[in-house]
Amino acid sequence: MRLLRDLGRRKLRSALTITGITIGIMALVVFGSMANKIDALVKGGSTYYQDKVTVSAKGGYMGLGGVLSTKMADQIEALDGVALAVPTVDMLQSDDSGAVNMGVPPMIDGFVGGATAGYETFKLSYATGRGLTAADEGQNVVVLGSDLAHQFNARVGDTVTLRAVKFQVVGILEPTLTAPDNAAEVPLAAAQQLFMKTLPSIVADKLSGGEIATGIVAYPKAGVDPQKIADEINASISGVTPMTGKDFDKQIGSATSMLNAILIGIGLISLLVGGLSVINTTAMSVAERTREIGIKRAIGASRWRIRREIVAESAFIGLVGGLLGLALGYAITTLGNDAGRESATILFDLTFGTAFSSVAFATILGALAGFIPAWGASRMDPVTALRYE
Amino acid sequence: MAILEGRNLRKTYRLSRKNTVEALKGVEVSIEKGEMVAIMGPSGSGKSTLMHILGLLHAPDPNHGPAPELYLSGENVATLSDNARTRIRARRMGFVFQDFNLVPTLTALENVLLASTYAGIRGKQARQAGLEALTLVGLADRADHKPAELSGGEQQRVAIARALVNKPEIILADEPTGNLDSDRSAEVLALFRQFNREHGQTVVVVTHDSEVGEACDRVIRMRDGRIRDHGQNVAQVADAPATATPLVAVPV
Ligand SMILES: Nc1ncnc2c1ncn2[C@@H]1O[C@H](COP(=O)(O)OP(=O)(O)OP(=O)(O)O)[C@@H](O)[C@H]1O
Ligand SMILES: [Mg+2]
Repeated sequence: MRLLRDLGRRKLRSALTITGITIGIMALVVFGSMANKIDALVKGGSTYYQDKVTVSAKGGYMGLGGVLSTKMADQIEALDGVALAVPTVDMLQSDDSGAVNMGVPPMIDGFVGGATAGYETFKLSYATGRGLTAADEGQNVVVLGSDLAHQFNARVGDTVTLRAVKFQVVGILEPTLTAPDNAAEVPLAAAQQLFMKTLPSIVADKLSGGEIATGIVAYPKAGVDPQKIADEINASISGVTPMTGKDFDKQIGSATSMLNAILIGIGLISLLVGGLSVINTTAMSVAERTREIGIKRAIGASRWRIRREIVAESAFIGLVGGLLGLALGYAITTLGNDAGRESATILFDLTFGTAFSSVAFATILGALAGFIPAWGASRMDPVTALRYE
Repeated sequence: MAILEGRNLRKTYRLSRKNTVEALKGVEVSIEKGEMVAIMGPSGSGKSTLMHILGLLHAPDPNHGPAPELYLSGENVATLSDNARTRIRARRMGFVFQDFNLVPTLTALENVLLASTYAGIRGKQARQAGLEALTLVGLADRADHKPAELSGGEQQRVAIARALVNKPEIILADEPTGNLDSDRSAEVLALFRQFNREHGQTVVVVTHDSEVGEACDRVIRMRDGRIRDHGQNVAQVADAPATATPLVAVPV
């Protein structure tokens, strides 16, 4: 109570300090949430690619790029150490959607439902409906990722249009915070037809639609290092680029950890500014109250009690600033995600950990900022402090 | 037995390397338990400085001349730690400072309760005692007023209530009547005297006012950092402690 009243008396200064911390914490929350989202994306990818080898046409990546043949799957499956190899057809949902996009752009992933059962360890669960099965081949059906379902505002049974072709929604995925959230899964044959339409007719005429693949996913036999399979593919098949989980981590992981460091750095710098402002305010308000501290010391307040009072006050300022910053950060990330849902661009993932540590950080920073002037004030001779003007 | 006894008490304020003020130049003083003593002397003679040393706010200078000694009820307190001195101030002493010194953000009652808190008394009991102390100084109806909403004399009386609230063994008051008219200052003196009588408390009053001096048992006179006259306890001289001193009417 007394603490609140003391703060109330120095309204303007306390308000300015709290604002400083609020902005710092808000930045930390926003950039931290962005980093979380990127992290989740990358972790998801890393987990998915870890136990397999993904083959693309030379120069391609992650099953995207030039055209391969479905026959290549048999060729790869025949290699030593390969348990299963399946063709996939992946493409962007629209040709321009990758231009300005953080994270993963909306994708169409074509594969034969259930073909990798028993091999694929990355489990997807369905919020509603079902996954694709082999029986879906030949049908225009789709399973939507959670963000995509939001974007289309689609439910199971609805019809959505992908690259000018109508598909019936048979399932919607639970959020994964990673690539599948933004993917439309369709039967392989349907994807092949969509893909054909993206090719120049001179190229398309030479191809038989049913044989097109953009990627081959190879699952190693138990105990076989995916790298060994990648080496074998490199040695025996030309015109392709195999990618292992390690390759993914190296290329994507290092790029994003750099980005994360920058994001967190921006947040920390803003926080430092907020922190300096707490130190400044506390130091000023302690100097202002030297006389008061002298009175209290003279009539019997111990040094520790004085320190406690000042530190509690500045920690409280930090806590309030932290909570306000969190509230603002929450508002920004929520609004940002809502706005991004239109284009299935989810930028932020505000986790409990980020929220908690931001507020805790602000509080501890406040307490530390109070500690320095508190120490000085409590060491002053009471009579000297009493006479202070 | 002397409740406060000091020898070789010195205090030099160092303003700069060359410029020093010898506020106390080796004082020997003894104050008996239950005495009500006035310290008088011209401005700058070291009265406040002596009071601060007796109240354990300052330590006497240790490093020139014979070592200082200060005993509180026979216990040597000259070299106690800051914590130990703080505890004694909180629990055994009550202070009224020369410029009354209230905390501006707190109400009159809260200012009084600060002293209770530091003495380890809290809650209802403390509140009760705080209100009683404010009633004693005639300010019960001002309990919720901030210092800025009180007159100078009222602020001084709040400070007195704060000094009395724990019924400390020793009350040290620096010009407690400086801002009061003669009626009010008579009331304050009567209050000290009442405490002194009823609870056997020792009262040390620094004053310029010779009427205040006359109302006390003994007057210590200072000049230029030294005690010129230790005075004589009129009560002891008359050998009739309860009635020999002039008793001012106790306010209701
Ligand atoms: N903190 C200080 N720094 C420097 N000099 C001081 C300090 N406190 C007191 N003095 C000096 O010490 C001397 C004694 O001061 P003290 O306050 O004890 O006098 P006093 O007798 O209480 O005077 P007054 O009646 O005016 O209150 C004075 O000359 C004063 O200027
Ligand atoms: Mg003085």
